Amino acid sequence: MSMLKFLLRRTLQGVFVIWGVVTVLFGLRAVSPGDPASLMLGQGATQELVERVREVEGLNEPIYVQYADYLGSLVRGDLGYSWRSEREVEMMVLERVPATIELAVAATVIALLIAVPLGVVSATRRGTASDYGATLFSLLGISTPNFWLGLMLILVLGVWYGIPYPSLSGSGSVPIGVGFVDLPTGRRAVGFGEALMAIVQEGSFGEMGLWLKHITLPAITLGTYFTALITRLTRSGMIDEFGKPYVTATQSKGLPGVLVRYKHVLRNTMIPIITVLGLQMGTLMGGAVITETVFNWPGLGLRLIDALGVRDWPLMQGIILFIAIMFVTINIVVDALYTYLDPQVSVE
Amino acid sequence: MISDRVKRNLTRTFRESMLPKLGLVLLVVIVVMAMFAPILATHDPTRTGYFHEEGGPYPPPGFEYTTTVASDGEIGDVEVTSTSEHLLGTNTVGQDVYSRFLYGARVSLLVSLFGVSLALLMGVPFGLVAGYYGGRIDDGLMRLADVMLAFPALVLALALIGVFGSQPIQVPDPIVLAGVADGMPESIPIPGSVTVVVALVTWVWFARVARGEALSIRNEEYVKAAKSFGTADWRILLKHVLPNSLTPIIVLATIQMAIIILIEASLAYLGFTGTTLSWGYEIETGQDVLRTRPWVAMVPGIGIVLAVISVNLLGDWFRDALDPNIEGSERGA
Repeated sequence: MSMLKFLLRRTLQGVFVIWGVVTVLFGLRAVSPGDPASLMLGQGATQELVERVREVEGLNEPIYVQYADYLGSLVRGDLGYSWRSEREVEMMVLERVPATIELAVAATVIALLIAVPLGVVSATRRGTASDYGATLFSLLGISTPNFWLGLMLILVLGVWYGIPYPSLSGSGSVPIGVGFVDLPTGRRAVGFGEALMAIVQEGSFGEMGLWLKHITLPAITLGTYFTALITRLTRSGMIDEFGKPYVTATQSKGLPGVLVRYKHVLRNTMIPIITVLGLQMGTLMGGAVITETVFNWPGLGLRLIDALGVRDWPLMQGIILFIAIMFVTINIVVDALYTYLDPQVSVE
Repeated sequence: MISDRVKRNLTRTFRESMLPKLGLVLLVVIVVMAMFAPILATHDPTRTGYFHEEGGPYPPPGFEYTTTVASDGEIGDVEVTSTSEHLLGTNTVGQDVYSRFLYGARVSLLVSLFGVSLALLMGVPFGLVAGYYGGRIDDGLMRLADVMLAFPALVLALALIGVFGSQPIQVPDPIVLAGVADGMPESIPIPGSVTVVVALVTWVWFARVARGEALSIRNEEYVKAAKSFGTADWRILLKHVLPNSLTPIIVLATIQMAIIILIEASLAYLGFTGTTLSWGYEIETGQDVLRTRPWVAMVPGIGIVLAVISVNLLGDWFRDALDPNIEGSERGA
């Protein structure tokens, strides 16, 4: 089977899963208490008005007609209007996507940069102090709720010590601690795209510095769980690989240990880790919801919490649907990568 | 059931490493805290108003702070000191932090125990039947699982709370009712709908693992033999398939318990559980006063970390001893 056929089949499966997600979301809204028309209009709406809205929105139709309508509008790419702000849900979702993606990518990058070397050291120096240190760190990392971790980072770095932070605008170093209100409450001052444009167009690095400064603590907060997880996976994966016959064979052929370790063992270890990372995207998004709340980071998660608080169903559905589509897409990409990385796995 | 080989492995890994021992000790501490909270607590955890005479909450030792007061027309700074009356100080509404720390363990453990039990009851029978019979039921389960997994656990939990609302259940306290601990609440509220919600977002992992086990066990010789004697399917499932699938299910249950503790804390932190006696909620109240009253947010977080670490360590121990490759065991909240 060709790669194209494989991708087509996985996409079809993905569409099926998304249809299931849509159905679950529709079902949840249908069984949730409270009349949508009243929720839409807020308190103090006249009975007459509520009736009119019910009529216009098709809420008096039988449930299967409403379901068909909902599916139909989604297929046309219409996510509806927010009940509270009366804006298009599509816009309200899309404008928050960059902030969340920046956070998720930054967290993943931090995780990979720290975790893979840590896992390698841990696996190659089993039983040493560095192995115990890494094990303890990863144990703490997977056991700490990220909202608490975020607050403790703010407390220790921001309030008590204030770590010096290089200022790229040229006025020496600016301690984060001084900016207690500035940094921890997050407040994404500038987007990554804008910061990049500033460098390209004006040669100004100030915006990028600002972006970095604002994303540092949220990204560490979100990334710690993944750092811990990948450290564990790398360690156990490499230990498993070391026991395999090919390692002994390559070593007996006289290949240097370093080469064996990185070219063969690490590569084989990374394959399952990439799959786990894909499956962990859901956890990453769940973590982003919390992290964004702690740091007031204006992403999808914060908007989801706001929407939940006022029971703004179209907005909630739109955000959750978007997250699910992202999850499914990433996992298709991961599967494709998997077949590319591991020659033993055929697209069958 | 648990075979001799499994028991030997468990003892061997327990002896070889420090970590299972640490996990066991921590778990015993947390369970004792939870069970005997009314006896160990110094104050009613729900009673408010334990404030310093200068106003403001009591700090724990090491966190003394100064506050500005006006008396006799003069304005001056007064040192607010810790008191042995309140071991870990009091919080923003003047509740005893130490007592709430103990009761938080009770809420956390109750929610995760009920949640895991419910998820087991939902997932295991479904998974066993699907794996044993195969066919349509199996296809249906696997597709349903795909859909469930496309939702981040926490996001689905939030959406479900949006539907169910947050109904607290009052859990009576046998120790207080027996008259051993005077002045403690006779019952404490635990977030009832959260218990159901965490089961709804985690059951599918149990179903998948049970299905995988049933799928391989159904081809074993002893199952075929039982079938040839004309043993009813439900009997085979109960007598052969279930006992032989238990090991990985136990490992998964341990790990999911840690995840459920984290989900409950997150929901409480976000204010969606409808109860205020919870480590997660306590951290939320401490967030606004993080700079001036840091202990309010610090103490309950330590509780969460200890509880989750203890369960994770036991999970690692079981997994190392029993089965290194259990699907779903590396998934967080």
